[in-house]
Amino acid sequence: MTNMPTEASAVKTFLLFVLFMFLAVVVIALAIVLGEKGTWYFAWLVGTVMIVLIAAAGGALLDTQDEQAEAECDRGHETH
Amino acid sequence: MENYVILQVIWWLLLGILLMGLAIMVGMDMGVGAILRYVGRTDIERRVALNIIGPHWDGNQVWFVLGGGAIFAAFPLVYATAFSGFYVVMLLLLWTMILRPVGFEYRSKLLSPAWRNLWDWALFISGFVPMLVFGAAFGNLFMGVPFHFEWNMTSFYTGSFLGLLNPFAILCGLLAVALAAYMGSVTIMNGAEGVMFERARGLARTMAIAAVILFAAGGLWVANIGGFQIISGPGAGVAQTPLQQVVSHGSASWLANYRVYPLLWLLPITGFFGMLSGLLAAWARRSHLAWWLGALAWIGVIGTAGAALFPFMLPSSSTPSQSLTIWNSSSSELTLTWMLGFALVFVPLIVWYTSWAFYVMRGKVLEEEVASDEHAY
Amino acid sequence: MIDPTVVDLSRTQFAVTVLYHFLFVPLTLGLSFLLAAMETVYVVTGKVIYKQMAQFWGKLFMINFALGVATGLTMEFEFGTNWSFYSGFVGDIFGAPLAIEGLMAFFMESTFVGLMIFGWDRLRKGQHLAVTYLVALGSNLSALWILIANGFMQDPRGAVFDPTTMRMQLTSFTQLIFSPDAQAKFVHTSIAGYVTAALFVAGVSAWYMLRKRHLELARRSFRMAVLFGVLATMGVITLGDALGFVGAHAQPTKLAAMEGLWKSESAPMAWNVIAFPSQQAQKNVGVIQIPYVLSLLATHSLYGTVPGMLELEKRAARRIQNGIPAIEALQTLSKHPRDAAAMAQFKAHEKDLGFGFLLQRYAPNVATATPVQIRQAARDAIPEVSVVFWSFRIMVGLGLAMLAFFVLGVIYTMRNVVQDRPWFLKTAVWMIPIPFIACEMGWLVAEVGRQPWTVFEILPTWMSASTHSVGYLVFSLIGFVLLYTVFIIIEMYLMVRAIRQGPESHGSGGGHRNVTTTHGGLPRPTLALQPSSSALQRSNREE
Repeated sequence: MTNMPTEASAVKTFLLFVLFMFLAVVVIALAIVLGEKGTWYFAWLVGTVMIVLIAAAGGALLDTQDEQAEAECDRGHETH
Repeated sequence: MENYVILQVIWWLLLGILLMGLAIMVGMDMGVGAILRYVGRTDIERRVALNIIGPHWDGNQVWFVLGGGAIFAAFPLVYATAFSGFYVVMLLLLWTMILRPVGFEYRSKLLSPAWRNLWDWALFISGFVPMLVFGAAFGNLFMGVPFHFEWNMTSFYTGSFLGLLNPFAILCGLLAVALAAYMGSVTIMNGAEGVMFERARGLARTMAIAAVILFAAGGLWVANIGGFQIISGPGAGVAQTPLQQVVSHGSASWLANYRVYPLLWLLPITGFFGMLSGLLAAWARRSHLAWWLGALAWIGVIGTAGAALFPFMLPSSSTPSQSLTIWNSSSSELTLTWMLGFALVFVPLIVWYTSWAFYVMRGKVLEEEVASDEHAY
Repeated sequence: MIDPTVVDLSRTQFAVTVLYHFLFVPLTLGLSFLLAAMETVYVVTGKVIYKQMAQFWGKLFMINFALGVATGLTMEFEFGTNWSFYSGFVGDIFGAPLAIEGLMAFFMESTFVGLMIFGWDRLRKGQHLAVTYLVALGSNLSALWILIANGFMQDPRGAVFDPTTMRMQLTSFTQLIFSPDAQAKFVHTSIAGYVTAALFVAGVSAWYMLRKRHLELARRSFRMAVLFGVLATMGVITLGDALGFVGAHAQPTKLAAMEGLWKSESAPMAWNVIAFPSQQAQKNVGVIQIPYVLSLLATHSLYGTVPGMLELEKRAARRIQNGIPAIEALQTLSKHPRDAAAMAQFKAHEKDLGFGFLLQRYAPNVATATPVQIRQAARDAIPEVSVVFWSFRIMVGLGLAMLAFFVLGVIYTMRNVVQDRPWFLKTAVWMIPIPFIACEMGWLVAEVGRQPWTVFEILPTWMSASTHSVGYLVFSLIGFVLLYTVFIIIEMYLMVRAIRQGPESHGSGGGHRNVTTTHGGLPRPTLALQPSSSALQRSNREE
C-alpha cells in the first residue's frame, strides 16, 4: 500500500491544493456576506453539528477505503 | 418596591442554600483530602479513598464556583469588598484549592512513592486549609471587618492579614474542618470496606464530638460579644449605597433576631441534632444515614449563623455605618429577577443529574479494581 | 487615588493568569467535540478502534482539563481580589453571566466529565455518548457565558449608570446576551478551540505515523482531525472578520490600533501589511501597504472609511471636557442623593462620565483640570498600538498558515497517502504550538486593544483595581508565577509521557465495582487480568 510521491502526483497535489484553497476562500467570503446579518449563535449550532458529523463521516470513510483496498488486493492475488 | 424586597430576601436565602451545598459537597471532598493520610496507610488504600470521590469531586467543586458567582451577581458589593479585603486569606484559599484538581488528576500518573507522598500532602493541605479559611471567613462576619468607602464607592481595607485569624475566627474555622472531616469519614465508610471502614468510623465519632463542642463554644462566644444594629437608613427595597445609613456596633446582641423570632432556635437545634444523631448512625455503621445527618448538621450550623447576622452581609468594624447589608449591597431588581429565573430552572436540574451521577457510580470501591485500572486516580 | 504601580501590577497579574488559563481552555473546547465525534463513529459502526481513540484522547483531555479547571478558579477570584472597584461598579451586569455560567454550563461539564471517564462500563453505549456530548456542550456553554460577560466590557449594551446606587445597572438582559460583539466573539473563540484541538490531534497522530506506531489509531485520528480542523479554520477566519467588522463600529480605537491607522484617510483605504508604529511620534515607520484592502476589511465596502487615531484622540479630548460636569454632579449626588439640580446636570452629561473618570487620573479634582492634563488623559484613550498591531498580524498569519496546512492535510488523508509524506508529518508535529500562540495573540488583541478601559468608554482601567499596597501585589504575583511554573512543568511532562506511552488497552471504571446487573443480579467483575498485565508491561518498559 506504500505510495511514494512522484513528479506527477506532486503536481496533482499542488493543483488540488490551489483548488481547495480557492474554494475555502470563496466559502469564507460567502459566509462573511451572509454573516452581516449576524445571527452567529445559530451559526455556531449548525456549524458545530456539521463539523462533528463531517469529521465522523471522514473517519468512517477511512474504514471503507481500507476495506476496498483490501478487496482489490485480494482480487489482484486471484488474477495472478 | 415590594417585589424588590422579596427578591432580595429570596436571593439571600438562595445564597444560604448555595453555601450549604458548598459546605456539604465540597466539604465532603475536602474532608476526604484532610483525612486521606490517616484512613489510608498504604498507597492502594489512599487510591481507594481518592476513587470513592473520584467521579464526583469535579462536579462538587462547582458548588464553590457557583457560590462565588452568585455572590458576585446578587451582592456585587459584598463580593468586591470581601474578596479584596481578605486578599491574603483569599489567595491562601485559592492556592490551596487549585492544588486539588491537579493533585487528583496527576497523583497516580507516576509510580514513584515520593511523588505520590508529596501529592498526598498537597491533598491534605488542599482539604484542611480551605475549610479552615471558609469557617474563619464566617467567623469574621460576627467580629466585623475594618473597611470603608470613598464617595464613589472605592473600598479601602484597613486591617492586617493576621487580624483575620483572630481566636473566634479560628474556632469557626475548626468547626468547619471538623464537620468536613466528619463528612469525609462517612463518605469513606460509604465506599470502602474492612480496615479503612473501621478507621473512618472511629474518626467520624471523634469529629462529630469535636463539632458539637466547637458549635456550642461558638454559640456561647457569640452570645457574649456585641452585635451590629441598623439605627436608621433608607430601608429595605430602596436603591441605595452604604453611605446613607447609621449602624451601631456593640450595643445590640447578635441574638436579637432569636429573641424576636423564637422559632429560629430550631436552627441550632437542627445543627446539634444532626451532629449527635450522625454520631450514633456512624457508630451503628449506618454510613448513608450518617451522611444525610451530617448534611443536616451543616444546614443547621450555616442557618444558625445566617439567622443571627440577618440583614448584615459584611459588617464594618472600623466604620459601622458603612456595613454591607442585604438592602444596600444587592443587585438591581431586574438582575435578581433574571437570575432567579435561571436558578429556578437550573438548580433542580443540577440536583437531578448530580443524583443520577452518584446513582451510576454507586457501590463500593475495590482495591484490586483500582490497581488494575489506568483511569483510576 | 490608587497607586499606579498597583494598577500596573494588577494588570500584569491578570494577564499572566488569564493567558495561562487560556493555554488550556481552547483544547478543552475543541477536544471535547472531537472526542464526541470519535465516539459517535464507535456507536454508529460498532468498531472498537473508535472507542480506543475516544479513550486515549480522553486521557490526554483530562491531563489538560485538570489545569483548565484549577486556573479557572483563579479567574473567578481575581475580579474580586484585584478589581474590586470594577466588580462593584458592573457586578449588577457582569456577575450575572458568570453565575449563569456556573448554573448552566460548568456544573454540567464537571459532573459529566466524571461519568465520561469513569462510566465506560457502567453506562450503555448511547448513554455514554450522550454524556460525552454534554461535556462538550457544557464546556462550550461555559465559554459562551464568559464571553457574554467579556462582550459587555468591549461593547457595553443593556446597562446604564445609576447615580443613586453609584454603579452600572442592567436595563435589558436580551441586549446583553445578544450583543453582536458577544455573538461573534463566542463563535470565534469556541471554533478557535476546535482548531487548536484539531491540530493537537493531527500533530500527535503524525508523530505516531512517523514512528510507525499505533497506525490504526493515528490514521483515523488524523483524518478526523484535519477534516474537523479545515472547517473550523474557515469558521475562525470568517468570525475573525465579523469581529473586526463589529469592532469597527463599537471600538474605533481598537480597530485603528490593530491597523496602525494614525491619520484618517479617504476611501479606499490601504492596508498596512507591515509597519512599525511609534506611540511617541504617533506615526508608522517602515510601512508596506496593499491598496483598497482596509476599506474592504473594516467596512465591507470600497467606499467606507474608519477614523484614525489622531482624530479619535481629538474626539476623546472633547468628551473629557464634557465629562467634567458629570463628575462634579456625581460628587454632589453621592452626598445628597435627592439633589434635583445635580441630577439634571448629571443627566445632561452622563454619556461622557467615563471620560471624566479618565481625566481624574491626572486631575483628581476635575474642576481645576488644566488643558495639559486634559491632553494627557486624551492621549491615554489610544491603546498601545504596536502590541495590538503585531499580535493581530501574528494571529492572522498563523490562522492562514493553519488553513493551508489543513487543506493539504485533507488532500493527503483523503487520498490515503499521508503516512508516506514524512515532511508533512514532521511539519504537523511542529505545528502543534501554533494554534496556542494564535489564541494567546487573540486575547492580546481583544484586551490590550480595549485599553485604557475595562468597560469601554465607561470605566477606565486605572480606577478599576483594588486599593492594595504594592507589597500585596508583589507577594501574589510571585506566588502565582511559582505555582504556575511548577504546574506547567508537571503538565507538560505528564502529557508528553502519556503521548509516548501511547494508547494501550484501557480498563476503566475507576475501580468502582461494576453494577450493570446480570440476570442473577450479581455484580459482574469488569476487569480481568489482561489490563493489569499490560499495565505491568508498560511499567517495565518505562525502566
